[in-house]
This record gives sequence, C-alpha cells and structure tokens, in this order.
Amino acid sequence: MMEIFEWIRLILGAALLISGLIIFLVELFGVFRMNYVLNRMHAAAMGDTLGISFSLVGLMIFSGLNFTTLKIMLIVIFLWFSSPVSSHLLARLEVMTNEKLENHCRIYADLAELNDEIKKESGEKEKGDEQI
Amino acid sequence: MSFLENVYQNMYIAVLVILAVMLFACLIRAVRGPRVADRIMAVNMMGTMVMVMITVLSLMLKEGFLVDICLIYAMVSFLAVNVLSKVYIGVYAENYQRKIHQAGKSNQKGEENNDGNF
Repeated sequence: MMEIFEWIRLILGAALLISGLIIFLVELFGVFRMNYVLNRMHAAAMGDTLGISFSLVGLMIFSGLNFTTLKIMLIVIFLWFSSPVSSHLLARLEVMTNEKLENHCRIYADLAELNDEIKKESGEKEKGDEQI
Repeated sequence: MSFLENVYQNMYIAVLVILAVMLFACLIRAVRGPRVADRIMAVNMMGTMVMVMITVLSLMLKEGFLVDICLIYAMVSFLAVNVLSKVYIGVYAENYQRKIHQAGKSNQKGEENNDGNF
C-alpha cells in the first residue's frame, strides 16, 4: 500500500517537472523566433513565472512535508512578485534608449490619438457587422 | 539502494543535463543579442534556469541548505537586472544631455552622427 503511494508521488512530481521543462523549451523557442526585444519579452516572462512554478511544485512533491518545501514555495512567491518589476524596467530601458522605435511599433504622442483610432476601428467593425 | 531510489537519481541527472543544454542556448542569445535589453533578458532567463538546477541538486544530494542559496540567488538576480536597467537608463540620459549641450555650443556646425545602436 505504501509502495503504491510512493509510485503515485513519483509520477505526479515527474509530470509537473517535465511540463516545467517543456515550458522552458517553449520559452527558448519564442526567444529565438521573435525578432525584437519587446516581442521576446513575452516569451521570457512566461518561463520566469509559469515554468519555474511548475518545476518547483514538482520538486516540492518530491521533497515531501519538510521545512525545505516551505522554502521552495518562498522562492516561487518571490519570483511572482519580482518578475513583473524587472520586466517593466527592461521594457522601459528599451523604450527610452531606442531612437528608431517607430520602425518596430506605432508610437502615439498623445493618448487622445490612440482613443480616436480605437473608436474609428470599432466603428468600422460595427459597420462591417451590419453589412453582413 | 532500492529501485525507486535509482529511478529518482537517474531522473535528477537527466533533468540537470537538459537544463544545462537550455542554459547554453540562453548564453547564445546573450552573446548574439543586438541590444543591451536583449542581453539583460537572457541573463535573467539563465538565472531562472540556474535556480531550478540548484533546487534539483539540493534534492539529489539531500542537502536542505542549498535551497537557501537558491533563494539568495533569486534576490541577487532580481537586484542585478534592476540595477543594470537603471544604470543604462542613467548613462543614456547623460549622453543625451551632453549631446544637446555640445549641439547648442557649436551652433549647428556639423551634422550630428548619432548611431542608434546603443
């Protein structure tokens, strides 16, 4: 009976650990596939939160009910808080220092222009729906 | 050593090897990245993978204190990314101010050749 429980624990933990590794692989694929930093950041942020939390939850199941498990959970919680902050700072660095940003994305000098454009696009969409 | 123990050890070694290969790919991104933000992002990714490696190692060697090192590694990695971003923003602002100052002093003597490859 105890042995069956041990095997279930092994399979559950290994499945979580392997899915974490797969998410790391997807992250690497995205980082090499995208062609600008602000696009690559999407892929990189996924591994920081989802990948590490899957793999560390798998390792928590392996380690059992310990004080070590609590410390591993602390790492996951710390990364959940710290990863968005560092991503935001990196994006700010890129936007502030790139002088040819308009080659990669549209820039709105005023927020009112963006609102006008959104309004115009949604109006066109409604018109298209009426025609259909 | 029982059969289950053997399975655990082999799995830990396989996970460590896979993570090492992915770490090398991150290093390629850090070397190839055309901009500074690319390199900092790659270093951040490497930090995340090293954290998983340290935790796997601590379970493999059955040493609980390695998890503390992993927590400290997470904090240092966060600090490194933030400080590097702030320093690069400051350096860029300083260069920009100097450029404006020189342009005003020389009274548009020549064309400024500003390379966008910061």
